[in-house]
Parts: sequence; structure tokens; C-alpha cells
Amino acid sequence: MIEAATITVVMRTLADPTRRAVFERVVRSDEITVVELTRGSGVTQGAISQHLKSLKQAGLVAERAQGRNVYYRAQPEGLGPLVDWMSHYGVFWRERFANLRTLLKEIDP
Amino acid sequence: MNDAALKPDTQDIVVDEVFPHAPETIWKTLTTGELIGRWLMAPTGFEPVKGKHFTFQTKPAGAWDGIIHCQVLEVMPNERLVYAWKGGHEENVGYGSRLETVVTWILSRAENGTRLRLVHSGFVTPKNDSAFKTMSEGWKKVVQSIGDIAGEQD
Repeated sequence: MIEAATITVVMRTLADPTRRAVFERVVRSDEITVVELTRGSGVTQGAISQHLKSLKQAGLVAERAQGRNVYYRAQPEGLGPLVDWMSHYGVFWRERFANLRTLLKEIDP
Repeated sequence: MNDAALKPDTQDIVVDEVFPHAPETIWKTLTTGELIGRWLMAPTGFEPVKGKHFTFQTKPAGAWDGIIHCQVLEVMPNERLVYAWKGGHEENVGYGSRLETVVTWILSRAENGTRLRLVHSGFVTPKNDSAFKTMSEGWKKVVQSIGDIAGEQD
């Protein structure tokens, strides 16, 4: 299932607290550079760059190069898999199939 | 299969599993109110009769009372059951937004049992970020609570 895979990717990407903090900072700013993100973060610029790469791969941030700087901005639609109806029902039906299997075992052993 | 499947801007959820039971047994669990309540949700007013309206009470969201409005569209005993599955509200985004979908159950004989295929069709997926932008603070809260959700996945 395509959307199930996407949910997993988004979940994995945001499960890391540092990466989630990076994403939240990107979300709070219109656009932000790696240097600005590194400032006051307590982690190295290389680490921030790696987190941004993962966020980009998950479709959660987009980048724009201007001169020497690369600006990052949030792509909130990347969170779609977590909040839309389709992902809700993707999980819902799998759970219900499991319930059905249990019920069938009970009524037709 | 149906109109929803032909529209390029909608998508389907498909779950397909083989159960070690006869189609008749599975059909009973799909079409008996009391049994539906034991694995799906308790329906109100369900009867496996074409045209029949029934509802499910789910979690409310915003201006939506959480009621899923269904109508039986097709009944082919032990083979196929189709119902409309509608709910949500225009003002909501994500869970609780307008939902106009169709649930199709297809039963077919398989080796050692029955293949049960669910097709939940007609999901309109966001094409651009405008819907998410209107969530503004809403989806920021989603991000903040993701730690918990993500933790559950591992």
C-alpha cells in the first residue's frame, strides 16, 4: 500500500526528537538556512544538514538555493498522510480485518 | 468498477485477505447487525437490502457529529455487498472533513476458505497545500503530538 508506506516514512522521520525539533523550527519560520537552524541548537551543522536531508526525502521540507545560501521551508502537505481520511481508514480497516478474523474463529472454530 | 474509481482525483484503499471460513459464514458477519457490531462498529438500522439507509456513530470532529451515513447500494448474497459511506463537514480539514466514499465487499472462494476483498473508494486526496495551510495552528499541534504517535509505531 502506497499510503501506508508514506505514513511509515513520515512517522520514522519525525520519531527522532532532534529532527522533530528541526522541523518545528522550519515550520515556525517562513524560510530558514542551515546556519540559522544550527545556531543555538546544540548540534553541529553537519547533523542539522543530515536531518534536513531526511525531512526533504519524507516530503516535509523543500529547499531553495539563492547565491551561497540554501533556504528551507516547511511543506505541511507532507503531513497529509498523518491527518487525512485515507490514512485514517488505511489503519481502521486493517484493524477491523484483524477483529473479523478473531470473531470468525469464535463463531466458526 | 464504479464511478469513483474512474475519477483521477480520488483514490481507493484495498485490503485483501483469505479467511479459513466458508463465504456463507463471512457473509453472515458482514450482513448481521449484531455481528457487524462485534468486529466493525454497531450499525443503526442496517439491513442487507438495496436502498436501505443505516448509520455508524464515530468520533465527532468540529462541526461534524461523527455520524457516518450509509446506504446499501448492492447485495449479492455470499458474493458482493456495496454501501455508500458518507460523513464529515466542509469546515473540517483532515479527519472530519467532507467524506463521500463507497465501501465494497467482494467474497470469492479460495483454496481452504474465502478471499475477502474490501475496496473503500472515492478518497479525494489533497492536490495542493491550501487545505493544510488553512489548518494553520491545527497542524502545528499535529507535529507536536507526533512524538507520541511515532513512539507507538516502533
